[in-house]
Amino acid sequence: MTRMYHRLPVDAYTSQDWFEREQRQVFSRTWRYAGLAEDVPEPGHFVSIQAGLNNIFIVMGRDHRLRAFHNICRHRGTQLIRAVGKTQKALTCPYHDWTYDLEGNLISIPDEAKEYPNGVDKSCLGLKPASVDIWRGMLFVHPDPNPPSLVEWFGAVDPLLGPHKPEELVEYPDARQSYEIKANWKIVVENYIDVYHLSHLHSNTLHMYDHARAEYGWKGPHYHFWEPPAPDYAKDLEKNLPTPRAIPEPHIGAWVPMLFPGIGLGAGEDSWNIFIITPLGPDLTRVENRTKLANASGWEFQKQEWSSWSFWKDFGGPKYPDSDAISEDDPMASGDFTAEDIYACEQQQKSLTSPYFEVGPAANGESPVVRHQQAILDFLETQEAGT
Amino acid sequence: MNPDFFSLKVSEIRPEIKGKATSVTFDTPTNLAETFCWQAGQHVTLRFHFNEKEQRRSYTISNPPGAPLRITVKRVAGGLVSNHIGDHLKPGDMVDVMPPFGQFSLTPDPLKRRTHYFFGAGSGITPLFAMINAVLKEETHSVAHLIYGNADGESTIFGKELDKLKIEHAARFTLRHVLSAPSLWSWISPWRKGRVDAEAIKIAVTETPPVAQDVQYWICGPGAMNKDVSNALMALDVPANRIHMESFGGATMTASSVTGIAAKAQVNLGGSTYEVPVSADQTLLNAILAAGLTPPFSCQSGVCGACKARLTKGQVHMHARMALEDSDVTRGEILSCQSVATSDELSISFDN
Ligand code: FES
Ligand code: FES
Ligand SMILES: [Fe+2]
Repeated sequence: MTRMYHRLPVDAYTSQDWFEREQRQVFSRTWRYAGLAEDVPEPGHFVSIQAGLNNIFIVMGRDHRLRAFHNICRHRGTQLIRAVGKTQKALTCPYHDWTYDLEGNLISIPDEAKEYPNGVDKSCLGLKPASVDIWRGMLFVHPDPNPPSLVEWFGAVDPLLGPHKPEELVEYPDARQSYEIKANWKIVVENYIDVYHLSHLHSNTLHMYDHARAEYGWKGPHYHFWEPPAPDYAKDLEKNLPTPRAIPEPHIGAWVPMLFPGIGLGAGEDSWNIFIITPLGPDLTRVENRTKLANASGWEFQKQEWSSWSFWKDFGGPKYPDSDAISEDDPMASGDFTAEDIYACEQQQKSLTSPYFEVGPAANGESPVVRHQQAILDFLETQEAGT
Repeated sequence: MNPDFFSLKVSEIRPEIKGKATSVTFDTPTNLAETFCWQAGQHVTLRFHFNEKEQRRSYTISNPPGAPLRITVKRVAGGLVSNHIGDHLKPGDMVDVMPPFGQFSLTPDPLKRRTHYFFGAGSGITPLFAMINAVLKEETHSVAHLIYGNADGESTIFGKELDKLKIEHAARFTLRHVLSAPSLWSWISPWRKGRVDAEAIKIAVTETPPVAQDVQYWICGPGAMNKDVSNALMALDVPANRIHMESFGGATMTASSVTGIAAKAQVNLGGSTYEVPVSADQTLLNAILAAGLTPPFSCQSGVCGACKARLTKGQVHMHARMALEDSDVTRGEILSCQSVATSDELSISFDN
């Protein structure tokens, strides 16, 4: 009998088969986060991004419009470009120097007459087009040149994501990081959307927000979540914000949605953060974080830091007191909610391979966990019906 | 489209830019509501009779779909119809109007998320104005940028209405005036002096680069402007299939120096076949009309596409073909009002 973990078989979190199936049917078939709009700032700039099985690159043309192509040389398939860079007018494959223009047309083949005495039809050998769009300051790519628009994909959830205009905020480079978690990507998502754990795992790190008054729900496969500041914090909110406001008054609270698949946002009164979850293997996941803050002067940041100091100086601390910590770097004594989450995910993953693992009943605050499992099943079903 | 005329009552006449143009609004009775449905950017043809002679003119509908049917007619020096409209037409008058038509149209789609750049000059604003309204009202995730050329503030059609749109849709609509002879006291402050040229276009696109990446470019202006703007866009590597344009004030008949040859044409029309003689200096449309047949037509200047037919045998030369896409031409479509015979036997069909 298949062992189940709520809606999904436990296998879905541990097996190579499930990992490959999701890579093929989920991550290679949806709009995928590909960076911030400012990563491709000017004509000629490009970036490449792995989106499931597809490697797609984005380049800006002289008309300031972005183009996206599959990063595959039409000769023998070599990846054309690496990471990020800038070109003038053309992209040359390193292997045999086939050269493409920024519309993807193959414009030159070295030694064409000698190497292809019977001729070669360059017009059939253009780069394969993909799609790119910008939404809430983020780049998204889709492997299909004619995909459903982002309105169709995110339109319904869009109004529930907060009043932030990420394109008007500025990145705080020190907060940019990427790390690996030894757990299946769905474990990481479930942790992100588990409302139940907020007051427990993070009893001493996230209590400036009032989890009891959280409002959350789903629009299709996308999860939305908002909670107000806790009374203590709200009492003098403008003074207590650690950095200048990133959204205008009177908006308050924290918006923490999880868009499908694995695109977490976390935005409050004074910041906007992304939390991108990428599966690397059945039990290995990469998370990338980037943060944007108000476009304010250093002086304004300084003033806000001073005014909020009295609130934050005694705020929070480790979940377990020092005496209970098992070592110097025990995440449970870190006072850092991210470390707490990573720890919980990895500890949970360890048990999934045990023959004795048996899931307990889902609490109310865990309904999003179950709903996300259903979203995966639904998405797989439509994709697999289509093929 | 429906090639018949319907008699419509004028419900409102409004002078624009101090009487240099006139907006005419028509009543459309409910039983004709469907017939007079339009897409932003389409035209209607009006028919008048002066001294026993029939005059037909096509004008762009300057209201978005759903609003009352309205055209805005700029006076042409010595123009028979435009001055008649400006001087004599009054509410209550009946005018023969042919239902809307035209390929230069923008169909708003609430599920699309596009960046539309509009480049217009003079009365070329009329279709663009309808399109901008349609995008702002019905394609709510899309953005519109207008770069609008005029001589001065005084001759700027829809200046006030555009300002209003700018305020109502600040996040989705930008407006930049390019004035060639701005007067100091004008209420319009130009974004640039000069014309809507390559330089202006490049700067405009750099100032407001596309966010939504499904980008479309709509051009409508007089004379050489369209060619200039589309050349400027192509120089920035804009793919041709994203550029939509229409020349305003009737296509100029520059290429009409090409003359045809006398020919015999076999014409399929309304399910019957007719033999029609075509003389060397006659367009196919004129030859067919002269034979007493009633083919569909409207603008007679290659703009509207009403006279479209399919050439199944022989060859023709078209003076202008604004209303056809390249793909239509490869499929053998011709504009009969613009075609002269270049082979002595032809077969064409108006039936599909
Ligand atoms: S593989 Fe790219 S040129 Fe040969
Ligand atoms: S009648 Fe309008 S294009 Fe021929
Ligand atoms: Fe957490």
